[in-house]
Amino acid sequence: MVRRLKHPFPFTARIRAVVEGQAMTYADENRYPPSAPTGWPESYGHDAPRYDSYGWQAPWDAPYAPYAHETHRGDADLAALRSAYRLLRRVSTLTALGSFVVYVVLSCYAPGLMGSKITGEWSLGMALGVLQLVVTFAAVFWYGRSAQRSVDPLARAVRERAVPAGGSAGTAR
Amino acid sequence: MNDFSSGTQALVLVLFTTLVTVTLMMCVMAGPDRDDLANFYTGYLSLTPLKNGLAIAGDYISAATVLSTTGIIALAGYDGYVLAVSTALSLVLLMFLLAEPLRNAGKFTMGDVLARTMPGRAVRIAACLVTLSATLPFLVVQLSGAGSLLTFILDIPYAAGARTACIVIVGTLMIIYAAIGGMRGTALIQMIKIVLLLGTSTVVAALVLNRFDWNPGDILRAAQHGSGAGPAYLRQGLQLGTSTGGLLDFVSLQITVILGVACLPHITMRLYSAQDVPAVRRSMSWAVGTVTTFCLLVIIMGTGAAALVGSQHIIAADPHGRTSVLMLPQVLGGAPGSAGATILYSAVAGMVFITLLSSVAGMTLAAASSLAHDLFAHAVRRGQAEPRTEMTVAAWTSVAVGIVAIGLATMVQNWDVGVLTTLAICIGASAVAPALTYSLFWRGFTRTGLLATLYGGAACALLLMVFSRAVSGTPSAVFPHADFDLFPMQSTGLVSIPFGYLAGWLGSRLDHRRRAAGSREQRRLYEESEARLLAAAE
Repeated sequence: MVRRLKHPFPFTARIRAVVEGQAMTYADENRYPPSAPTGWPESYGHDAPRYDSYGWQAPWDAPYAPYAHETHRGDADLAALRSAYRLLRRVSTLTALGSFVVYVVLSCYAPGLMGSKITGEWSLGMALGVLQLVVTFAAVFWYGRSAQRSVDPLARAVRERAVPAGGSAGTAR
Repeated sequence: MNDFSSGTQALVLVLFTTLVTVTLMMCVMAGPDRDDLANFYTGYLSLTPLKNGLAIAGDYISAATVLSTTGIIALAGYDGYVLAVSTALSLVLLMFLLAEPLRNAGKFTMGDVLARTMPGRAVRIAACLVTLSATLPFLVVQLSGAGSLLTFILDIPYAAGARTACIVIVGTLMIIYAAIGGMRGTALIQMIKIVLLLGTSTVVAALVLNRFDWNPGDILRAAQHGSGAGPAYLRQGLQLGTSTGGLLDFVSLQITVILGVACLPHITMRLYSAQDVPAVRRSMSWAVGTVTTFCLLVIIMGTGAAALVGSQHIIAADPHGRTSVLMLPQVLGGAPGSAGATILYSAVAGMVFITLLSSVAGMTLAAASSLAHDLFAHAVRRGQAEPRTEMTVAAWTSVAVGIVAIGLATMVQNWDVGVLTTLAICIGASAVAPALTYSLFWRGFTRTGLLATLYGGAACALLLMVFSRAVSGTPSAVFPHADFDLFPMQSTGLVSIPFGYLAGWLGSRLDHRRRAAGSREQRRLYEESEARLLAAAE
């Protein structure tokens, strides 16, 4: 069975692929299993990827009927976990790295802006630098909370399924 | 050099001896069980997140970080602040991006992570070589710095023999910690170190703030005055200049730091010893919190050094300002010879000493573990080595790595080898970071791609570094009088990081074309291990 990835917004998909270090892979390299009904919410964010199993021309809302629930449930859990992790990773990493890169570039190429005094001797650049360090505490706390909510339950499900199935369902790929 | 009485030196010596004795005793008592490999490599799997986090932070904050970051802040102001921010954010990035999958994928070393989808000796050897090339320079620069640092602290008159003796003493201690203590012993030392470091820095920073009545504006004004740079102290550009090249160089350095520092093998190695994913997350939260707090303190201490000591005195002692953190207590503690000054100076000296010892021990252990586990047990014995043999080998490779590092450090002690820190970070950012991100997140990654990333990224960083302006062509370079600076930057990240990523991608493309069966097999292995990677499911 050949599963192909199709994304409603190919450009976003490519950007995301670059971010993930998956730049310019073959079209069929993201072999996501179909998302069978699992009991988990189907979307993990507005840009969660959606996949079909019929090749390039299948309509997006095609029903996922041909899949027997029992054998593919583990796959679906894993896919859900994968996309939850991916979303979390992407948001957190891009925010941290992006804000810092913007800060460095502004420091270098907009010295007037960053050197402008806000109060007393404090310039905007220094305040932003210290602010990033202070915000780090909040960011780490936020990351822990979000991971606990979005990733941990899915990971638990994958682990639980992998143990009793003894490799037949959980790792049958 | 420093105007202290012999009483102060005596107190410092007593403190050093106490620190060494206590840590050595703890190391011996905490030493791993004879046959338990996991115990040697990962320490306690049962280490609580707080303790593990402190150990990670302890490994992360090396003596080079403490001394040079303070120095750069004291001398270059704003550029130093940015460096402190990027140092802290690098660990944040490690936590967000790599920590959890790394914990699930790895066992003892980086080679375990990389070889999980592509078994084979070539991968193990490459992982070992890159680990060595990233840790050895860091080790050598800190050991060679130990010579001048200890002679400065103890006020021993300048003589080559004294410095060599200091290097050998520190090196021997480091070998003992690594060989006897293993991960367990070094974890304990890192915890002690980070507590001492944070405690002392907090006191020093509080004294600095107190001196200026807790008014940051006054400190900044005094720092602008003391640095002799005026308003430029609070603008970007004092460190590398404001020319087009200087700006690019600055951006390159910061990107290299944020991508490279946290990927260094002695830090990622601590992640494997976490019990499960929530534990690694909590450990990293503690580590990030500790490191960020420390970076805030470093900013205060560095600015305080510029304000109170003044750049003239700092540069006179060391052109890179690496002794500024030691000169601060002399100004803060009150009159020379008073009890306050003596105690404060001894505390800071002790903090620097234990930081130095623990960070070199951690790096020795990382290098030795990779040699024993990747090279000996998996490349030479093909995974058939007895645990007991492997542990003996690991202990002896610690000795070997330590001796090589001591030898190299003695050889280069009269040169200004701060560039080796940059080299290690550049290799971390351009070989280790691409290899880890590809291996963890890209199922199309193949063996050729991995080898190309590891060797290509490391070689590119090394080559460019040799021809960079940090090695020749500028007054502060290693060879100030030679002139082979073909690459007009101080750090190589801007070129070598894209090169490392590109090499990995091209290598994998080549495999897809030429050896389709092999690359399909590697993809199958990736998908098979994905449940383990994401959910720690066996």
